[in-house]
Amino acid sequence: MASTTANDIPDVEPNRLGRPSMRVGILGSIVFVVFAALFLRLWALQVLSGPKYVGQTQRQAFLSVRVQPPRGTILDRYGRPLVMNSAATVVQLWPSDLPTVYSDRRAELGAIARATQVPLYEISAIIKSHRNEPFVTIREPASKDMVAYLSERASEFPGVTLGRAYIRHSPYGSLAAQVLGYTGEISQAQLNQDAKGGYVQGDVIGQAGLEASYDSYLRGEAGAARLHVDSLGRPRSAIQLTTLPKPGHDLRITLDVKLQQAAERALQYGIQLARNNGKWAASGGAIVAMDPSDGAILAMASAPTYEPSVFSGRVTERQLAAQGLTPKTALAKNYPSLNRNLQGLYPPGSTFKPVTALAGMEENMFSPYAYQPCTGTFSSPQDRSHRTFHNWDPNVHQQMDLPTALAYSCDTYFYRLGNQFYNLPADRGQPLQRWAEAFGFGQLTHTDAGPEVQGLVPTIGWREATYTSISDPGHWQVDRLWKPGDSIELAIGQGNLLVTPLQLTRFYALLANGGKLVQPHLLLDVENPNGTAVPVPSFAAPKPVNIDPAALAVVRQGLVEGTHLPFGTSYGVFGHFPVSIAGKTGTAEKVVTLPGYTGIQDQSWWCGYGPTDNAKLVVCALIENGGHGGTAAAPAAERVFSAFFHVKTTQLGSIHSD
Amino acid sequence: MLEYAGSRSGFRTQRDEGAALMGVLRSLDWLLVAGIGGLVAVGLWAVAGVTRFDVAHNPSYYLDRQIGYAIVGLVALIVAVCIDPELYRRYWRPIYVGTVGLIAVVLLIGRAARGSTRWINVGFFTFQPSEFGKLLFVLALGGFLADRARSANDPRTTLRLLGFAVLPIVLVFAQPDLGTALVYSSATGAMLFVSGTPWRQLTALGTIAVLLVVGVLWAGPAVGVDLLKGYQKSRLTCFVQPSHCSSSYNLEQSIAAVGSGQVNGRGLNNATQTRLNFLPEHGTDFIFASYSEQRGFVGASLLLALYLLVLWRGLRIVATARDLYCAIVAGGILVALLFQIFINVGMTMGIAPITGIPLPFVSVGGSSMIANLAAMGVLLSIHARSRAVRRRR
Repeated sequence: MASTTANDIPDVEPNRLGRPSMRVGILGSIVFVVFAALFLRLWALQVLSGPKYVGQTQRQAFLSVRVQPPRGTILDRYGRPLVMNSAATVVQLWPSDLPTVYSDRRAELGAIARATQVPLYEISAIIKSHRNEPFVTIREPASKDMVAYLSERASEFPGVTLGRAYIRHSPYGSLAAQVLGYTGEISQAQLNQDAKGGYVQGDVIGQAGLEASYDSYLRGEAGAARLHVDSLGRPRSAIQLTTLPKPGHDLRITLDVKLQQAAERALQYGIQLARNNGKWAASGGAIVAMDPSDGAILAMASAPTYEPSVFSGRVTERQLAAQGLTPKTALAKNYPSLNRNLQGLYPPGSTFKPVTALAGMEENMFSPYAYQPCTGTFSSPQDRSHRTFHNWDPNVHQQMDLPTALAYSCDTYFYRLGNQFYNLPADRGQPLQRWAEAFGFGQLTHTDAGPEVQGLVPTIGWREATYTSISDPGHWQVDRLWKPGDSIELAIGQGNLLVTPLQLTRFYALLANGGKLVQPHLLLDVENPNGTAVPVPSFAAPKPVNIDPAALAVVRQGLVEGTHLPFGTSYGVFGHFPVSIAGKTGTAEKVVTLPGYTGIQDQSWWCGYGPTDNAKLVVCALIENGGHGGTAAAPAAERVFSAFFHVKTTQLGSIHSD
Repeated sequence: MLEYAGSRSGFRTQRDEGAALMGVLRSLDWLLVAGIGGLVAVGLWAVAGVTRFDVAHNPSYYLDRQIGYAIVGLVALIVAVCIDPELYRRYWRPIYVGTVGLIAVVLLIGRAARGSTRWINVGFFTFQPSEFGKLLFVLALGGFLADRARSANDPRTTLRLLGFAVLPIVLVFAQPDLGTALVYSSATGAMLFVSGTPWRQLTALGTIAVLLVVGVLWAGPAVGVDLLKGYQKSRLTCFVQPSHCSSSYNLEQSIAAVGSGQVNGRGLNNATQTRLNFLPEHGTDFIFASYSEQRGFVGASLLLALYLLVLWRGLRIVATARDLYCAIVAGGILVALLFQIFINVGMTMGIAPITGIPLPFVSVGGSSMIANLAAMGVLLSIHARSRAVRRRR
């Protein structure tokens, strides 16, 4: 065969490979082995492990997005909505869809900034702080013009989409602003703190007030949606909902909108009265109205206040500053975000006298019906500094029993009692402080209305611990001692004693309900969106404080006389009120620091309840720097009672009193 | 049966030419033609699907171009069929010089693309000489081997051939195009093998090749000599130890793409690896993975079967070639083809190292398509003049 080929083409080397050649066979074997390997591998990947890889590719090609649920509504006790949701259009930005070249990216962001009226630096900051999220919300809510502009020019704004969101809306404006609180995006610190709560970056949570206390009910459950993304995370399909979001539960609270409105108006009225009386520094205050039988709070006003709408949608520093909601501007606006009922600390002044009276009777230190002199001044024989303590009325000289002393608010009567407490032998302990604590002073009330402060009931131990060579190098040897003056001042609610308006309200509720300490609260019930009730932890039942009913009766008589007898300190306000009201004024001296001023200012107090024998409402009013209790706080409290009992105001005119 | 004019006395008169053309048509390996036609068709089908979402508003951008290249390639194939391979053997020296010159020109004036210089821009078309070089290299070196056939046992023949082979291989490697350099090397080995180089010399060459790989990948870097770029080396070593690799993204995505195709494929819209660009270079280097994702085991098997058909017909041509030169050329073309198929398909499935080799007849690219069709034309031409066809007459 080879020779024939060679003969045909003599000058060419013949092909020595025959059809059965070993070398062609080897080449064929190589082809066979290679293709066997390729087919086997293909079979293994596609047929045997196919489903596994389908799952893998789907996981990376689908992006899951959380769909925020509508937050629950907050309703008052009669079902009037206090906070609800309104639907809004928001502008969202997909950073992965922005140009990657720096200058192009900047130009595009600049155009977006102009279109959405959000400053460029703010957009950059939002993108930076949400680096792990596929898209960010940059404008919430977007105005109609913005939406129209952006949808017309969609091709000019790659990466910009319009979405729907719910925005918190308060139909009553600033009503109960500090109580209801506000919502905001979860901060990094909150995320770190609460790893188990299921919050994720981008969630909107309650940041203050009830929105924060009951966030777990209000928030609902986020739904899920998914969309196709490419390998750079850019969206390549529309969002499809895969799990519906579950709306949050509705919260019904014990507030009554009408009474709350009355309380807030009353507070402004009290402040205005004080200013009319020349109390220039009066600008804030607090009023609590509570059901004394169970601690349900019907109204809780704190002034000054703010417009919660600044926290809805896009929050800007400028708007917050205008409302005094930034640390820098808070002082100038007198701390509007502070709920003074829970977070304000004041000496209670004469409103504390019932505590001293009850403690003294329980410790058998005096007879309530024995007459004691009420004089212009008092000084303790045990006081080595021979300090003179003055009565608010220097000209008085009269014998009084306890009810009269309470109604007339005689200071020297209680100075004497305070001195008796000082003179008790050491083995009797400190019964005045012990009783004050039993009545809830110096203790948290465990209310659900928000974070609270516990105040201070000064004790011998507290003095020793507070005044040390380090904290008070000049005078600590003297200051750490408990002196007669400390007991005397404590007896009339002055000195180092500090209480919150809510603590004082709780104490007056105890006087009104026959000696039971209640847990002040705002939650009435929780309903899911179908209208069925959701179980909630119940509040503590009113707890008896084991006081002698006879002692309580004497104090209550004193409070009734204070409003019903002509020498009573709030007779001018409540003397002819159609419903019988019992109460006590207070004028507490407090060293205050205001912009450009430091000095002693009178804090105007009034606490009481009505109807006298079957109390339905306990009210505590405080006008900061408002002067005498009878001239500012009592008239303000009277307006709350008027609203509650639906009666006309019948004031004789306020009286200059303690 | 028509009279066959003979390779050396024909092409003289009009009548003779007509008869010759008819003869060539009659003597074509129609199974091989069917295989090539099938490959081009499947290749275009693959490109149509794989590149559909790559250019916005123009889903057939790449397909249109690829069809154009296929038509040009068809012309090249017909021309190659008509040329007697003897012509190449006679002029193997100028072919060799031209091949080396073209590849060298790329290095001098070629433009940089993704760090590699492989193209010459000729206006309408970026021309990649190293692709055409695969064929020209085989035609030229085959000529040398055929001339030295009587001293095939002499080690000096082998050494001189290696001397000729090293120059273009080094030039391609310097572009840098490691994959194509390896294709040239495999073709060199195949040509030595087919030309009858003694086993002893082949064994020695194989040992040297293994030592070279070990030296370049491990021993060289250990003593500070790095011939490969970082990415080239990591791709090669990743293949051996995938779990130690940070740059195995492409490989993972490619394997996932192939696997997710399952039996019937995911179709164009659901093939997320391709459509959403998780798989990079899915029109060129990783086109097999994309195609497998879209068309599944059925489609991928069809493609592999067509390759197998072409390789089988090719091996038959090696065995029945008219002379040694034709056998060497056919062997070189076939092994280069086999090598490219194995490396490209294998790398998408993680059983071969990742190098930038296009998949013949399928990957987007004009030079590769035209050069491969021209090479098939040479195979058909060899077949038309083979002993098998003559015996039939």
